[in-house]
Amino acid sequence: MSEVKNGISRRSVLKGAAVGGLGIAAGGSLLAGCGSDGTGALAFGARTVDAGPTAQLKALVAAYTAKTGNEVTYNATESNAFQNNLSQYLQGTPDDAFQWMAGYRMQFFAEQGLLVDLTDVWNEIGSQYADSYKTAATGLDGKQYFVPQSWYPWGMHFRKSMFADLGLSADTVTNWDEFLKMLDGMKKKGLVGFAAGDKGGWEAMGTFDILNARINGYQFHVDLLAGREKWTDAKVLDVFTHWEQLIPYMNPNVLDLEWDGAMQLLLQKKAGSMLMGSWFGGNFKEQSEADYADLSIIPFPEINPEFGRDTVDAPIDGFCVAANGANNAGGADFLKFAGDMEGVQAMLDAKDADGKSIPMTSANKGQDTSTYDAFQKEQLAVMDEATYITQFLDRDTRPDFAGPVVGPAIQSWFKNPKDVNKIVDTLQAQWDALPPLA
Amino acid sequence: MSIDVELQAAATKYRNKQKIKDRFISLFIGIFAVVWIFPIAWTIWSSLRPYKEVRANGLFSVPKVLNLANYADAISRMELPTYFFNTALITIPAVFLTLFFGSLIAFVVSRYSFKWNVSLLLLFTAGNLLPAQLVFIPVFKMYITLGKAVGIPRLLYDSPWGVVLIHVAFQMGFATFVLSSYMKTVPKEISESAMVDGATVFTHYTKVMLPLLRPALASLAVLMTTWIYNDFFWALVLMSTDSKRPITSALGRLQGEFVTDYNLLAAGAVIAALPTLIVFFILRKQFVSGLTLGSTKG
Repeated sequence: MSEVKNGISRRSVLKGAAVGGLGIAAGGSLLAGCGSDGTGALAFGARTVDAGPTAQLKALVAAYTAKTGNEVTYNATESNAFQNNLSQYLQGTPDDAFQWMAGYRMQFFAEQGLLVDLTDVWNEIGSQYADSYKTAATGLDGKQYFVPQSWYPWGMHFRKSMFADLGLSADTVTNWDEFLKMLDGMKKKGLVGFAAGDKGGWEAMGTFDILNARINGYQFHVDLLAGREKWTDAKVLDVFTHWEQLIPYMNPNVLDLEWDGAMQLLLQKKAGSMLMGSWFGGNFKEQSEADYADLSIIPFPEINPEFGRDTVDAPIDGFCVAANGANNAGGADFLKFAGDMEGVQAMLDAKDADGKSIPMTSANKGQDTSTYDAFQKEQLAVMDEATYITQFLDRDTRPDFAGPVVGPAIQSWFKNPKDVNKIVDTLQAQWDALPPLA
Repeated sequence: MSIDVELQAAATKYRNKQKIKDRFISLFIGIFAVVWIFPIAWTIWSSLRPYKEVRANGLFSVPKVLNLANYADAISRMELPTYFFNTALITIPAVFLTLFFGSLIAFVVSRYSFKWNVSLLLLFTAGNLLPAQLVFIPVFKMYITLGKAVGIPRLLYDSPWGVVLIHVAFQMGFATFVLSSYMKTVPKEISESAMVDGATVFTHYTKVMLPLLRPALASLAVLMTTWIYNDFFWALVLMSTDSKRPITSALGRLQGEFVTDYNLLAAGAVIAALPTLIVFFILRKQFVSGLTLGSTKG
């Protein structure tokens, strides 16, 4: 058996070499032939293996094939593996279209020439999207490289029933003083006020984002993450000062819990509130419809009246076309369909294994928001109140800075908040030491 | 008489002392056994509980439901046949090629004396010291460039053969080292008489050395199988299509983007570990001798 296999290996390698030696030109023209007619079969790389999103994407692919007759190969990869390997993936033999994120994470790869310019696609479907989405889809060179699919906001999540018990309502928690009063009330009742987990290193980035945006404003936040402002600025220290005020209301084991540990505290009614992205609502829904109906979101309270509640972290997920794919035009054609209301509707119509609809807040203006459930409507309200949308820290700054540097820095701050000066110094030093982008 | 009594007393004293010592050792071993078994037992325990219950009641709650539902779910979501086939497609050729090339080099460096044989052995062994994380970018670029040059982009990158080759390259150092140590224990006279009888180098290798190497090859094969089976890294960075990757990455399929159902993952881990466990129990003897292989001669 082994010898047969070895034989195949050696022979096919030799054959490959021979074919290549004979006809590099033939190979080249074959590829060109694929791309030039515009459509044709293509491969799509999904960045998820979760049941709900998979059902939606498969519905999208099926609708596209039904409409155009183009076969689509569906390749799914678990999201973390996909993300960690994206750089190699894009330089190697990527799928033609793939699922990715807006903002810096897209721009980073667009700058390296690994993504296909989708300006033509935007000329056709652009009218279906608000300007903020177009901005998020635009690279540093002013061209679009991304087609948005869906979004979710980060905000303060709580249970309506617990809020009612505490005599609170959404309009009584609008500024920092009221917020601290709320946390105090929860603590007196023996609850964790501000459920937090940061074992994964990314969870607490959301807290930093919103505090910085509330205290120092959108522009400073974006400039800081792009390296145009300094981490050693007194404004950054002010963020940590405010954050420190929240520590007494957090669960003591922040660094031992991942985000879902914090969520369990809220689910089990041991915690009164949690700052998180609304995507976790699916967990509540899975637990029971009653738990989902009890879940609610409000914007993070105002701190600096100059900025009010004008900014929200609302990561946008969507699609890109890989420049090294075999069929760029096919990939772009698929994305045009995915971004058009027709494709969006196919995703919205998808059902999960139990025949229930899968919640999705689409970026497309055409989605009928009257079909939103109560929680989705609240998410939309949070979104609508904001003038500025940020993508979340690890999507708004360099990938080699967010995960390897900011994550551990915040974790060490949790261990010893008094070290804050040393920590911001390290952050700035590490930023300065980053190699220039290729 | 009195000497007898004294002797007896000394013997009893010694026996008591020994008993206390034994108890200490047993206790010590017991503690270590528990420490080693705990994670495995906890994994199995977790795999029997539904995540929904853990989420609602906490990790240490008293279970209301214990069943094999996670296993059924894991088996259907992991697409086991595909991924086990991929693993076999990588592991089997890689192990055989490693042993083949490793034994060839070991044969030459240990049976023939020429100027560079020790340096050659050192070179191959030193290859072992390079961490995979350090060389994966150059390897990746090499595969891509080669594929482009030949006009077949998936010649090595995103192909099981590319992963097989890199495993062979990485494991060969260790295989060479172990096999050459083993060959040195084979008396020189055997080789000499083979040569006197007119055996060519090739006959010498196939007819004389290979049969003698069989125990070493068997235990090395077990070790190699376990290592290559457990690899996740190379398949991740050298392949872009998930459905071509081995079983270790199928475990990732049980992990959600945000939500990770650790109970389901535990069931998946148990399933993925089963084949190595089976191989281990079947070839236990070779495995143990494999661990001490080459430790007496070097």
